[in-house]
Amino acid sequence: MSTSVQNSPGSGTAAAPGKPIGELVFALLIVSIGVVGFVAGAGIQTPPSASDIGPRAFPFAVSALLVAVGAGLVFQVLRGHRGSADEGEDVDLEAKTDWLTVGKLAGFVLLHAFLIVPLGWPVAAAILFFGAAWSLGARPWWRNLVTAIVLALVLQFVFGGLLGVSLPPGFLEGLGIFGG
Amino acid sequence: MDNFFLLMEGFATAMQPMYLLFALGGVLVGTAVGVLPGIGPAMTVALLMPITYSLEPTAAIIVFAGIYYGGMYGGSTTSILLNTPGESSSIVTALEGNKMAKAGRGAAALATAAVGSFVAGTIATVLLSFLAPFVAAFAVQIGPVEYVALMVVAFLTVGALLGSSVLRGLASLGLGLFIALVGFDALTAQQRYTFGSPFLADGIDVVLVAVALFAVGEALYVASRLRHGPIKVIPVTGGWTSWLRKDDLRRSWKPWLRGTFIGFPVGTIPAGGADVATFLSYASERKLAKGENKKQFGKGAIEGVAGPEAANNAAAAGVLVPLLTLGIPTTATAAMMLVAFQRYQIPVGPQLFESNSALVWALIASLYVGNLMLLVLNLPLVGIWVKILQIPRPYLYAGILVFAVLGAFSVNFTPIDVIILLVVGILGFFMRRFGYPIAPMVVGLILGPIFESQLRRSLAISQGDPVALIQSPVAATIYVVLIVIFALSLLLKRRQRQFEAMVAANADAADVVRGSEAGTAGAGADASTTAPSVTAPGSPTSSAPSSPATSAAPSSPTSPGSDRKDTGR
Repeated sequence: MSTSVQNSPGSGTAAAPGKPIGELVFALLIVSIGVVGFVAGAGIQTPPSASDIGPRAFPFAVSALLVAVGAGLVFQVLRGHRGSADEGEDVDLEAKTDWLTVGKLAGFVLLHAFLIVPLGWPVAAAILFFGAAWSLGARPWWRNLVTAIVLALVLQFVFGGLLGVSLPPGFLEGLGIFGG
Repeated sequence: MDNFFLLMEGFATAMQPMYLLFALGGVLVGTAVGVLPGIGPAMTVALLMPITYSLEPTAAIIVFAGIYYGGMYGGSTTSILLNTPGESSSIVTALEGNKMAKAGRGAAALATAAVGSFVAGTIATVLLSFLAPFVAAFAVQIGPVEYVALMVVAFLTVGALLGSSVLRGLASLGLGLFIALVGFDALTAQQRYTFGSPFLADGIDVVLVAVALFAVGEALYVASRLRHGPIKVIPVTGGWTSWLRKDDLRRSWKPWLRGTFIGFPVGTIPAGGADVATFLSYASERKLAKGENKKQFGKGAIEGVAGPEAANNAAAAGVLVPLLTLGIPTTATAAMMLVAFQRYQIPVGPQLFESNSALVWALIASLYVGNLMLLVLNLPLVGIWVKILQIPRPYLYAGILVFAVLGAFSVNFTPIDVIILLVVGILGFFMRRFGYPIAPMVVGLILGPIFESQLRRSLAISQGDPVALIQSPVAATIYVVLIVIFALSLLLKRRQRQFEAMVAANADAADVVRGSEAGTAGAGADASTTAPSVTAPGSPTSSAPSSPATSAAPSSPTSPGSDRKDTGR
């Protein structure tokens, strides 16, 4: 997917060689969300007393929009018009997609979700930061670890302690300044 | 004169020392986060939402006012000083500002941007304070039918204009509307699209989705294509007091004013937000420039920074008119402001000026205050912003993720929300990858439920007759007027893209020419102009002799169009 994309002015799409399988799947996903919307929408109960168009009509309208637009996009992609990927200061559009890093980051966020309750927020957040920084290529590991611990403690202190957001303090339980 | 007294009362509130402190905090945090590359104003507001969770409404709204203006300002610093193509609304600033900075005139670019933002922000806030009450007085008289008309147009313009592809924008809007449907129907209490899950019964929180799309999606996307190598920050030379020379001032003040009066009206109508305003201002400055100054366009003309920056800030104030009076956000940032209001159960919409007038006027007053603070603070603090620009990218994006999970978790304090955050974040990643704009989805998510209830209310009144939706003369007028605006905006957008492609092509060509000249003259001349760097002396990244030949966008035939296009975020 590292093919360079040329924009024809005004169209907002671009014709490019290569196999747009991912993009096609995404467009089909939009269509299928619309289809699911219809199927699941048919199961929405309408109370007989409803004086207006009821709770089903709007979901159907949105589903129809998704199916129509999704189908249009499938058609567009098949004809070779592809979306132009997003830009940013830190984005190198010429670079090959680094799926491994994306996977690692997603994995660490998931891990974080499972660690908040047993270990407390500061520990879970430190692990997330450490893991994410490592995945993105920060070295050496000990500096990442120190930064992660300091950041987690500062955030716990500011949000849990000062701002009163009830983050579970974990091992800091009982220390008032951390909201324990 | 009544409104004038209300505004004075607002000032009386906003000038209380405690609230001044909150405004200062909001402005500082907003600028600092806005300066961070990859973080636009919308993401700034989304990420900073948890800060205000424990504050009372007035303090929270004042903090958000500071974040809103600060985030806008921070973006322009990034695009002037960072040697990489940036994001949508500040792209025009980058066009000339970045060139100025490379030529050793970064200080002047920053100064004209700062003063221009202040001038435009102040004038536009005055316009806002006079215009908004009138629009609000009109708005309270309209019924659900007219409201539906307004929202249909808002959907259409947001979906079709915020982004480069109309179909993708509408798809994004549809996804937002769909997610908004999950949970209990507000009118009949029926479950919709919950698939029997108790976690979905209460619906998916807007903050959660917004943070996921903006922060997690962005972090994953950047991670997939991270720009490696040193971070090239262009050094700023000289003391900040001598930044605006007489000549610069003489060339800047007219563009500031023109930018203001272009930006404000464009901001108030749903025409695609600040991007269109900056482009219009840039195009008109380019056209109006004469002689020597005209030749500088594409190589660092100060007018090309002054005008668009003023237009950008004026549009930001203009966007608040439909937001505060009608409850209709026309940009992603405005949508996030609406979410902030909703969290405090402040009913944004036609009634806002009546039911919460003290709060609204305190907000408007704190916009004046925040604007002044930005002017006073930003120039002296530029050294700090440059430091912020140099944060190692792994730490930056790891930090964004930590903030995102913090925001997600503190919505309901359940880890399930973090998992939903991840799922929606992955969706956001693919949307960025395949060129789907994020903003329509957020707007759809927020306006969807309001739209549905107004639609059903108007159909209940007409007993299910859809013709009633266009029969009201006011509604019909709204449709007609806004269809015209819509058509015009679409035309404008198209011209903007052609223009940007053209300008970018010219700029790149100029770069290549200058690059070869610099190559023969030796990089020494280039380095000598930037040598007395006040910012981070000795840092290898800041003193990089950024020869235009190496730093210019790769001059392959594919770069002009794809490098500087508008994604409307």
